[in-house]
Amino acid sequence: MLPRAKNDWTLEEAAHLVRRAGFGASPAEIRRIHELGRKAAVDSLLAPDEPIDAIPLPEWAGPERAIAERRERFAEMREARMAQRGMSDKEREEARRKMQREIRRESQQRLTSIGGWWFDRMMHSRAPLREKMVLFLHDHFATSAQKVRQPGLMLDQNQLFREYAFGDFRELTHRIALDPAMMLYLDTQTSKKGQPNENFAREVMELFTLGEGHYSEQDIKEAARAFTGYQLNRITGEVTHNERQWDDGAKTVFGKRGRFDGAQIIDLLFEQKAAAEYVPSKLWVYFVEDEAPQAIVKDLAATFRAGGFRLEPVLREIFLSRAFYDATVIRNQIKCPVQFVVQMCRELEIDDLPPGYVLAAQRELGQQLFFPPNVAGWDWGRAWINTNTLLSRYNTAGVVTKGAVNAEGVEDEGGSMMEMAAAGGGPGQQIVARLIKRSMDHWEGPDYDRIAPRSLRERPAELVEALIDRLFQADPGKKQRETFVEYARSKKGVVFTNHEVAELCHLMMSTPHYQLC
Amino acid sequence: MKTRREFLRSTVLGASSVWTVPMFVERTFADLHVGARDLATQAVTGKDDTILVVLQLAGGNDGLNTLVPYEDDAYHKARPRIRKDAKDLIKLSDGIGLNASMPHLGEMYKEGGLAVVQGVGYPNPNRSHFVSTSVWETADPLARSNTGWVGRYFDNACPGADPTVGISLNKTHPEAFGAMKNPGVSLSTPELYRWIHGGGEKAEAEAFFNSLNSPDAPVDGASIDEPPTGKVGGIAGESNLDFLERVAMDARVSSKKILELASRHRSSVNYDGTPIARSLNMVARMIAGKMPTRVFYVSHGGFDTHNQQINSHDRLLGQLDGALKSFFADLKAQGNADRVTVMTFSEFGRRVSENASNGTDHGKASCLFVAGAPVKGGLYGRYPSLTDLDKGDLKHTVDFRQVYATVLEDWLRTKARPILGKDYGRLGFMG
Repeated sequence: MLPRAKNDWTLEEAAHLVRRAGFGASPAEIRRIHELGRKAAVDSLLAPDEPIDAIPLPEWAGPERAIAERRERFAEMREARMAQRGMSDKEREEARRKMQREIRRESQQRLTSIGGWWFDRMMHSRAPLREKMVLFLHDHFATSAQKVRQPGLMLDQNQLFREYAFGDFRELTHRIALDPAMMLYLDTQTSKKGQPNENFAREVMELFTLGEGHYSEQDIKEAARAFTGYQLNRITGEVTHNERQWDDGAKTVFGKRGRFDGAQIIDLLFEQKAAAEYVPSKLWVYFVEDEAPQAIVKDLAATFRAGGFRLEPVLREIFLSRAFYDATVIRNQIKCPVQFVVQMCRELEIDDLPPGYVLAAQRELGQQLFFPPNVAGWDWGRAWINTNTLLSRYNTAGVVTKGAVNAEGVEDEGGSMMEMAAAGGGPGQQIVARLIKRSMDHWEGPDYDRIAPRSLRERPAELVEALIDRLFQADPGKKQRETFVEYARSKKGVVFTNHEVAELCHLMMSTPHYQLC
Repeated sequence: MKTRREFLRSTVLGASSVWTVPMFVERTFADLHVGARDLATQAVTGKDDTILVVLQLAGGNDGLNTLVPYEDDAYHKARPRIRKDAKDLIKLSDGIGLNASMPHLGEMYKEGGLAVVQGVGYPNPNRSHFVSTSVWETADPLARSNTGWVGRYFDNACPGADPTVGISLNKTHPEAFGAMKNPGVSLSTPELYRWIHGGGEKAEAEAFFNSLNSPDAPVDGASIDEPPTGKVGGIAGESNLDFLERVAMDARVSSKKILELASRHRSSVNYDGTPIARSLNMVARMIAGKMPTRVFYVSHGGFDTHNQQINSHDRLLGQLDGALKSFFADLKAQGNADRVTVMTFSEFGRRVSENASNGTDHGKASCLFVAGAPVKGGLYGRYPSLTDLDKGDLKHTVDFRQVYATVLEDWLRTKARPILGKDYGRLGFMG
């Protein structure tokens, strides 16, 4: 058990918990959580009062709706084939292409909408830690819509993560093995007796449960034979085990011999010592610091195993530990791009961001929800930052604060920026970029009258102090503070308009410090 | 009371005036004097240097269907459904054919500008994408090195170079660029590679911005030689904030230069709309704009063909071919063809036998391309046997570090040993 922090805590520690175990919050919300005390605050994060289905799925989604729709789709295709009977080869080919184009367009639209749906949830959810765990699990069991191509299945998987966010990780691994999106992503549904596909068998060991070095190539080959015969019904989304396609021979995995199927292999995985350490160690890195010290991993592993691989006790231990609130930990984590944008919105108390822009920003900054780069998920920490993504972050802040929008009558650089980003992408992307620009032009932006009341603007030092509280919740350093104040003074001039507050916020965010949480 | 302008001069900029002359520029001059004498390497002189483009085929390219041993019965037996026949190929030599999706590379081969290295791999191969990619990028078969092979080239052979000595067009910084001193920069759209801000009084806003994006204290010369940590070349013991400040500095300074030349050069050649074509187009523009870059890094993804690979694999190779065709035509039009060599790599090849999904699983040895006017074309290395296999995979006949050594010594003109740790011998494909 890790040494615990006492129940009394500072406002700064409360803000730290709110950032790491969630996506940050407004100063008022942080004060509210601080007043709860440390333990009650952690309890409330782990037992949110928001039901999993509190935020409705997009209207086309949900298992029943999806089944009905897949039925319709197949019926349409059948009809189309009938209708094409009298056609020439060329006409038939054209009709087929046209239909595929329509399906693609619709699917593309929906893929767009799910990225926006989840982002919106992160912005508004009263269960921020749950959403943060869903992001962890999405990265851990990385599945990309790029290959799966079925937005409904991606959403089903996302809801599965929500259901298990604090739950039994072993059970979740069983569920994931038979999750339609995962099966499509790692080719489980085409793996047959005699010609097993090793993709899932490898990743379930290397990336999902044990980590590199805790299994042999032979274990993978044998386990791949066990994971044969699982079939996905494309209409109902139902997964069945076809005994005839299953390799029912004896396999030797981790020194044990038996006529294993996939589920038995997963149980074997959780008998390995590494299984108790792997996920807790990743959780520590995700929530606390870039490296997980061995002693801490040992403690967390004991908790994980004793709790029957439930995530909740491990999370509670992390957030109540002294180590989590260490001075070297606070404000020393590089925000992932999604955290960067969601936290910015929460800090600026923005209610909604046009969904098109949300997606464009995710892409620019290198973390598009539902599109992890590969089965290992994203590279975290310093890997988020290079010269390109850092400038993109600064420019995203310029658009969201509206600080990069020029005064009226002058060319709008925030918009042309998006157009340029799409310039290489052909006419389709340029149209999209123009649409996004228009929606951003009409978007109101943060309510600066509330964030920076007029009375405060008379006193630049106090204004900066209030904004530091809001955007950093900690001291950003002497030089930074002085520069912000001087900039505010330089802006004071005749009138301190909302636009100038926006420019000040933009400058404050265009700093190395703002990349940390 | 001070005026705003006075303030700018006296405090913000005054306090950080040493940083208005960027760290690397200062280092450039000092190091050039010292370095050029001591090191048997060419100093970075800009527009006349040789340039290497590293082109990653991400996901594990199926070498057997790229360079096909079409007269080998074992090939046809192992791949009854996804095999290529002689008619699907561009014949390169007896029994060896190039996938016909690459007509331009076929032409280049005939004209002597394409080297194909066969059977490239490393001892005790790892079939994980991530580990094997690390092996290739760090040139360390145990994947334990913290620096990349290109980053070590920057550190060893390009003293005092500015950060644009290496430019990656990937969203994430490649591990190959991990360095102790200079890990290069990343960018995707030159026009956006700058701080875009609003309002009038631009110059002043920029002065504030510059001050905020300069390190608080000079980076300690001693700490900079510590081994770096992490994948992207951070320095050991450096906090995340120090790291961010260094990147911010590099971004700010390189942004000015790149922006200037991005507005100057437009290609006269048409490129396809594929991501790889766009990346190579940008590389060509930067070369035309006389960037002092020695190594560019671009990536072409999607080669993890476990499933229904025939169409997808051919399409990917076709995209590669189309992009390279435009790129080389562009270089020729610029008069820079003799300065540029492209080298491809992929983390591994694929299993000899096809799987049940008409695809192929992760394998071991594979082929790679070295292309460009300076290249001495032909087939190098030996095609691995398709019957003497290592657990169903090809055994490598060429160590990938021999390829790197050849490129380093004969193209980038530097000693390979300090970078690769050992002499691996050269393959002779550079003219």
